[in-house]
Amino acid sequence: MLSGECSLQFDLTSLTPYFGDLAAGARLTAFACALALAGSLILGILVALMRTAASTKAQRVANVYVDVFRNVPFIVQLFFLFYGLPEIGIELSALATGVLALSLAGGAFTSDAIRAGILAIEPGVLEAAQVSGLPRVAIYRRIVLPIALRSAVRPLGSVFVNLILTSSILSAITLNELTGSAKIVAADTFQPFEVYALLLVLYAVLTWLVSLAAGALHRRLNRNQL
Amino acid sequence: MIHIEGVAKRFGSNTILDGIDLRIAPGEVVSILGPSGSGKSTLIRCINGLEKLDGGSISVDGHRVDDPKQLQLVRRCSGTVFQLFNLYPHMTALQNVTLAPIEVLKTPRAQAEQEGRELLASVGLGERADTYPAQLSGGQRQRVGICRALAMKPRYLLLDEVTSALDPEMTGEVLAILARLARSGTTMLFVTHEIAFAREISDRIVFLDGGRLLADLPAAQFFAADGGLAQPRIAQFLSKMSK
Amino acid sequence: MRYTDFSYHDIVLLLQGLGVSVALFAATTLIGLVIGLAWATLRYYRVPLLAPLAALLAELLKNSPVLVQLFLVFFGLPVLLEMDLTPVQAALITLSGNTAAFIYVIAVSAIESVGRDQLETARVFGLSRWQTLRRIVMPQAAAFALGPLAGLLVNQLQVTSLISVIGVVDLTKVGAILNLRTLKPFIVWTVIGLLYYLMARLIAAACARVEARLRAHRQWKGL
Repeated sequence: MLSGECSLQFDLTSLTPYFGDLAAGARLTAFACALALAGSLILGILVALMRTAASTKAQRVANVYVDVFRNVPFIVQLFFLFYGLPEIGIELSALATGVLALSLAGGAFTSDAIRAGILAIEPGVLEAAQVSGLPRVAIYRRIVLPIALRSAVRPLGSVFVNLILTSSILSAITLNELTGSAKIVAADTFQPFEVYALLLVLYAVLTWLVSLAAGALHRRLNRNQL
Repeated sequence: MIHIEGVAKRFGSNTILDGIDLRIAPGEVVSILGPSGSGKSTLIRCINGLEKLDGGSISVDGHRVDDPKQLQLVRRCSGTVFQLFNLYPHMTALQNVTLAPIEVLKTPRAQAEQEGRELLASVGLGERADTYPAQLSGGQRQRVGICRALAMKPRYLLLDEVTSALDPEMTGEVLAILARLARSGTTMLFVTHEIAFAREISDRIVFLDGGRLLADLPAAQFFAADGGLAQPRIAQFLSKMSK
Repeated sequence: MRYTDFSYHDIVLLLQGLGVSVALFAATTLIGLVIGLAWATLRYYRVPLLAPLAALLAELLKNSPVLVQLFLVFFGLPVLLEMDLTPVQAALITLSGNTAAFIYVIAVSAIESVGRDQLETARVFGLSRWQTLRRIVMPQAAAFALGPLAGLLVNQLQVTSLISVIGVVDLTKVGAILNLRTLKPFIVWTVIGLLYYLMARLIAAACARVEARLRAHRQWKGL
């Protein structure tokens, strides 16, 4: 399979002038992912509440949404929005489209985590809130969501990790986030192996840090529990 | 006045409550006794609307519990203390106590907190106001539960086997507080297994068995040989419980 | 009929793309299964150097984007090893490795779910490590792993869509081609999405059936 000589070189130092570009790409990834996380959380809370609501109509709508976004590849969702939205007159930048797509997909997964958190609440606690005369909105705001979100921190952390990894696909709609920038650098330096290997490690380190942060946040929020 | 008329409740094919009639006047202390599974807790849960009635009606101060809007009014004028405490785990003892007054009665936060601290102090938890339920013992948690119910200044207090989950030492401290409340004129409806306690503080004793009301007598008469004890089922129950 | 309209030939195109996606999914799942189980076995036997290396590789593959892995293999390997790689070959290598990493994780947690007391009992009875693995650990671990495995399969099906970016003419690439030609993105991408959706549901249903059958075998059927 190997033809001719095998020049196994791995020279990262020649990439140093390009670190600036990569850093810019990384910043864009961080920015897009932060926005998408916010979007996913808002959507996820809404959908989780719908999925645990008493109304079966709300449940059905929410379950269809989750079903669709879990079983269709992200890149197809992305292309649908990127090429489709201009057709109906909505002109969004690549960044905005990307954040929208990530939020929609992320919302489905965050709703899973939050729903699990809601279902794990002891029913007696909810009963105590009900019989004290608290209106429904107050019960959701002061009891259900605070408890559910506290227990959902770790699963939400892994959804965020997933979001960061999925964000690399935004390079396919010409967004110069980390992967997109890396493609350009690889083309400029003719050293794709070094560039992408470095990128692999960078993403892995980034996601590992996010997992650590999620664990720390979980411990902090639950420090008053046993 | 709590009016309970012809109340029926079924779970599937099981009839838990079979035509219960009961009246509780303001200021009365009524204990509901009976074997497990007799429907005692279910009755309380029908009064505060946690269970829907399958027959009959319940009204509290004229508000019917089967109407959602009126049920909210019922819940405002009544307080419930649970067997398993059911404290909000993410809130301190004080926050547990002040949540409903602030959200429902719209009491200003400073006032609610001051009253809350006083309540907690009156049950001996003055220094523990800012601790979380996970850091409290069972007896302490139940005392917080009582304060939480009292913070709404309810006309009626519903207590559902509130000492059944406590060990004897903690049971004593909670019962002492409840006895004090009973003497102060609060209307209380107890579901309990503590026969001696019921005998001591109740005005009336109600006996439930198999979903039916077998006796509704003033306390002294209930334990009299020609009163409650005349019924074989009650005599059997009391003799078992005193062993 | 204008060139930019849909034609019956497009159905053929779609089916071809679908076929490529399914074929690559099936192949990489099988290869990934073998590699992932091999890594898990390395860990079970606590093979020095190889087991931790496999663990590290799995971690890396699990926690980095598949797209970057595809680029690394398709663009990077040929330069490094001075050899040519077709898009399909690159896709096979990458997706197999990626699947293997997740299979490894599922297998390890499934093996660990079999209580240590059972392993000790087996040891006391004189069973070799291999016998313990084959007769005690594997049946139970397999049952435990079915749920996560179903989820993984559905996920890896979605992941195959990325091979379109390095030029494999799979279902997504066909979508891109049709989109470019007909300029009707709503129709094109909805159809593509629907096809992926149906395939995912099929896989999930098949897994559910296998799980039900496995469970039926293990139920106590009475005397």
